[in-house]
Amino acid sequence: MIRRINLTINGDKVGIDVQPSMRLLDVLREILNLTGTKEGCSIGECGACTVVINGNAVNSCLIVIGQCEGSEITTIEGLEKNGELNKLQKSFMEKGAVQCGFCTPGMIMSAYALLLKNPNPTEVEIQEAIAGNLCRCTGYKQIIEAIKSP
Amino acid sequence: MSRKVIKSVTNLYDKKIERLAEVPDEKLPPLKNNKELKYIGRGISRIDGYDKVSGTAVFTFDKILKNMAHARILRCPHPHAKIRKIDITKAMNIKGVIDIITKDNTEKIDWYDGDTFIFDEHLRYQGDEIACVAAENEVIASMALKKIEVEYEILSHVTDKMTAVKEDAPKLYDWGNISPDANPAKYNRGDYEQGLKNADQIIEEEYNTQFVIHNPTEVHCSTVDWNGDHLTIWDSTQGIFAVRNSVAAALKIPQNKITVIKKYMGGGFGAKLEAGKYTVMAALLAKRIGRPVRITIDRKEMNLAVGNRPDSYQRLTVGVKNDGTLTALGMTMYGAMGAHRDGAGCQWPLRSLYKCPNVKVEEYHVAINTGRSRPFRAPGHVQGTFAFESIIDMAAEKIGMDPIEFRLKNYAEVEANWEIPWTTKLLKECYKQGAEAINWKSKRNKKAGEGKGPVKRGVGMASQIWWGTGGPPAYATVKLNRDGSVHVLSGTQDIGCGTYTILAQVAAEVLEIPVERITVSLGNTDEHPYGPSSGGSMTASSVTPAVYDGALQIKAKLMSGASALLGVREDNLVYSQGVIYSKDDKNKKKSIQEVVRETHEQILVATGARNARPQGVMLNSFGAQFAEVEVNLETGKVKVLKIVAAHDIGRTINRKLLENQFHGGIIQGIGYALLEERVIDHYTGKVLTTNLHNYKMPTIKDAPEIEVIIVSEGDDQISAIGAKGIGEPAIIPTAGAIANAVYNATGVRIRTLPITPDKILNQVYNIG
Amino acid sequence: MTDFDYIQPTTLQEASKVLSSDGINTLIYAGGTDALSLLKNDIYKQHKVLNLKKIEGLNYISFDKTNGLRIGALATISEIGSSPEIKENYNIIHEAANEIASPQLRNMGTLGGNLCQRPRCWYYREDFDCIRKGGGECFAYEGRNKFHCIVGGGPCYIVHPSDMAVALLALDAKVVIHSNNGERTIPINDLYVLPQDDPMNETILKPGEIVKEIQVQPPVKGIKSGYVKFKERDTWDFAVVSVGAVINSTNGIINNVNIAFGGIAPKPWSEKSLNKSLSSVRINENELEGKLKNLFSNAETLSENAYKVPLVRNLTKRLLLRLVQ
Repeated sequence: MIRRINLTINGDKVGIDVQPSMRLLDVLREILNLTGTKEGCSIGECGACTVVINGNAVNSCLIVIGQCEGSEITTIEGLEKNGELNKLQKSFMEKGAVQCGFCTPGMIMSAYALLLKNPNPTEVEIQEAIAGNLCRCTGYKQIIEAIKSP
Repeated sequence: MSRKVIKSVTNLYDKKIERLAEVPDEKLPPLKNNKELKYIGRGISRIDGYDKVSGTAVFTFDKILKNMAHARILRCPHPHAKIRKIDITKAMNIKGVIDIITKDNTEKIDWYDGDTFIFDEHLRYQGDEIACVAAENEVIASMALKKIEVEYEILSHVTDKMTAVKEDAPKLYDWGNISPDANPAKYNRGDYEQGLKNADQIIEEEYNTQFVIHNPTEVHCSTVDWNGDHLTIWDSTQGIFAVRNSVAAALKIPQNKITVIKKYMGGGFGAKLEAGKYTVMAALLAKRIGRPVRITIDRKEMNLAVGNRPDSYQRLTVGVKNDGTLTALGMTMYGAMGAHRDGAGCQWPLRSLYKCPNVKVEEYHVAINTGRSRPFRAPGHVQGTFAFESIIDMAAEKIGMDPIEFRLKNYAEVEANWEIPWTTKLLKECYKQGAEAINWKSKRNKKAGEGKGPVKRGVGMASQIWWGTGGPPAYATVKLNRDGSVHVLSGTQDIGCGTYTILAQVAAEVLEIPVERITVSLGNTDEHPYGPSSGGSMTASSVTPAVYDGALQIKAKLMSGASALLGVREDNLVYSQGVIYSKDDKNKKKSIQEVVRETHEQILVATGARNARPQGVMLNSFGAQFAEVEVNLETGKVKVLKIVAAHDIGRTINRKLLENQFHGGIIQGIGYALLEERVIDHYTGKVLTTNLHNYKMPTIKDAPEIEVIIVSEGDDQISAIGAKGIGEPAIIPTAGAIANAVYNATGVRIRTLPITPDKILNQVYNIG
Repeated sequence: MTDFDYIQPTTLQEASKVLSSDGINTLIYAGGTDALSLLKNDIYKQHKVLNLKKIEGLNYISFDKTNGLRIGALATISEIGSSPEIKENYNIIHEAANEIASPQLRNMGTLGGNLCQRPRCWYYREDFDCIRKGGGECFAYEGRNKFHCIVGGGPCYIVHPSDMAVALLALDAKVVIHSNNGERTIPINDLYVLPQDDPMNETILKPGEIVKEIQVQPPVKGIKSGYVKFKERDTWDFAVVSVGAVINSTNGIINNVNIAFGGIAPKPWSEKSLNKSLSSVRINENELEGKLKNLFSNAETLSENAYKVPLVRNLTKRLLLRLVQ
């Protein structure tokens, strides 16, 4: 049963005709070709699929598109504006907070959601905000540094 | 510069690997110390940073082709079974299912060195492959898996190595359960029995280490596409040539009919060093259905079927004199390979870390009904170092010596297995600087556990030795365009560690041009000269010298061209910042762009080669890590407060990337020491930890303060660059240092990893 | 994962109707954090998913000093964890909420979902035909059971995974349950059942019944509360053992205390006799150790989980000391 779902994705209004049971993650990657959002575990345990919906970081692997009607969704692709990276993205590059890069989009989106609500977080608040994002190769110190001083 | 083919010999574990390789026929001028260099050694930001932070980086997982089908694998739910019958009728009838392959409709293709086939009727572990479905999407493919009807003959299983070696245990192979390669693998040096007799103290201890899973964030995956008789494979792999050659052999097609591509990948840690069955299955399906196929392994399959670090039981014996001299080292070891043959040993730290004339080792590598082990970041050394450095700590305590002093007392000046000197060994310097940084003297409890209250602190340390250091064959092509921009091409791969960036730094250093003018292209078997698999901490140490050689050749061509254009003899020219001047007349000059243009070249091209390994010397990296921990004896919780990592890894090429590698390795080491374990229910033979909350990898809150100290400069006997490699050294000593620190803090010695709260409480409260 | 039909009612009545007519084939989704992973791992094979999240009027946190606290079942865990009124008046709820899973999951997960989540027993979650799934045996009993229960077990030995439930039990909270036959309000302790009474369900909810609201009585002056959750990993982990306590003390002497435990039993657990034995006790380490030394001495521990006994005693002692000092 295909339904029309209306969303705002990275500032653009889109209407898509989909099975409402499709995961948001699959809608992003397969229908909208936004493959910056990754899949690592499929059950909300790694954070690689993190996107921001209405200002909150969520795991897009656990959200079905049917519940997203009218939502404002930001993915990693939405942070760069007019060819200019978001300061958080630049900071991740400069502080060496990236290694293989597979967890990076999710990590940045969790950080982005934090900074929306709390522009000057403490180290503990940063740790708390990215506690749901697993990194297997870089460690975490550089990531904290990057979020601290974008 | 001319070339010669030589036999290059590498001592790796007990293998003497001889490889013929083309190398430069003369020694290249070594680089100066880092402080005199402009690009190498600096913390330059990674050049692939934009792609990764913007979300535009295309990983293999993101490779989508038009009209692509999606494949999923049906895996055996039992630890040991035979297939009686497979019926795919119902699954084929599902709308959107395109094709299904099984043993019944494909040829037998040898796999795992002939131990099995791509589809075997004998299923040896939970997760063994039975069928592969191609469908219009993954959801349909997954549904079809449930509709494939398989009739099994259930066989009795064994999932514990110590049970598997018993005579009446169920057998996996005609040869039994103990690998013919290690039944046992023996090593003897000197006279072990006499060594024990000469000892004042003999310490005998048993240690156990757990299975751990690589679990890179990007799962194993491939996208494959046939164009006529040519197969293109995008694979998340650490070795594009290894994949190409295995798939060519499996499909019986020439190697030039396969292209393997890997641009970005989300980690591997050794699990992705070889071709996966899944890639071959995808290629078979793609051929049959005439469409591209994408195949992915899900997280549960990752935890069942694509590799693990083998476990170990280690019974160690140390003979020591009261003055601290080691007289004998003994080891009996059992390690589980999983269902197929692979290495499961861990004897090398014991054999090579310290001076001891009398050594005896026996290792048994055992097949059990679980997924096959694969190399995992410093195979053998991680489990071996934990146990060996634990017993060394106990030996030091027994004779009342400080652990560092004890290690210095037995410091090996010569590699004992081959009795040859090392090119460089700065382990003493690691002990010194590391001890200072952790504040060893003031933080160490004189008596273990002497701190007051239930929350106790202590420090401990462990040493590291690793192979690394690279070697030929490894090639890189350097191309200089008319506009002065540069391409560096090599058939190695950047698995996340920063290979793209460091190769650009080397070319920039030689040609004295900014890193921004250099593009590095890796990971394509058709377009690039051969580069090694990314494993063994050998990528940087193998490939950077090849780039160096290639860039020097380009520079030589430029000098020669400028000489002709300017009418000045080459030895009267100087090269500076991409401009060539006459020494006598600074106005006589040509930029590198002008040289290319005016000599009517379009592109200058040179292929550089990695130099031969020096012979008659031993090449190793070294290091020591120091841990400060806090242990709560009321809860059993171990918190790592700080790790100091002091290492001799040759030249640092990029400090920022080096920090990434060390932090990542140490945090994986903390996972190994405290959290991670593949748990098996032995009664049913099934794995209980196939998701990421039961398989606990460290989060940001488990990460301590980390200080990395590099005590070394370039080792120019190794190569002109002189890098030894850092990926594996970073993880090797972490668990040993933590275990020793836990003991120093509490007086509780945990001999079985991971050091979880239950184990500490069981000892504190005498449970069990 | 099975493909499924997705149903998104906007009223409780509508939801309840679907559930009463085809509850057996319908999976309730109230945030999705547990439901979709159960589907993904084929624990649930339902072909209908009913999303409660769009039901109007169930997402609220309301507090006043006379009526106490009411939380709608669809309030998210992060809304609860960041509510200043909850932090000020019911610190135990605040602390429990912030210990749950990860920030992403707290943003999605709801109170109702948290209370009704399924157990995390690895036999239940993996491919085992265990009692809780209608099979004939509990594999944990003689298997790998370091995370399993030490009291209240048999024939199944799960622990209940909810942190909120433990906190609410210590507060003697009430649960409002909606069905199309009407509403009823029960103590939270009565929401949960032991395996000996029903080995396949953790709650008494019948098809068509939905948790609608949680009610907590107004805070008594001078009361303090807190929650401690012991995990192997420092974040995104379930409780090995957790303890919640609500305590009223004067000058270091306990007037009364209500303690609840997680991670030790198939349901959120309380020991009335312990609460009673602690009243009038002067809080110091020695006194508490004396009072707690026999706590769970009747535990029926399994081969790998006896360490939970000293752990729960120690955590309780530390929590009480923290709350009074």
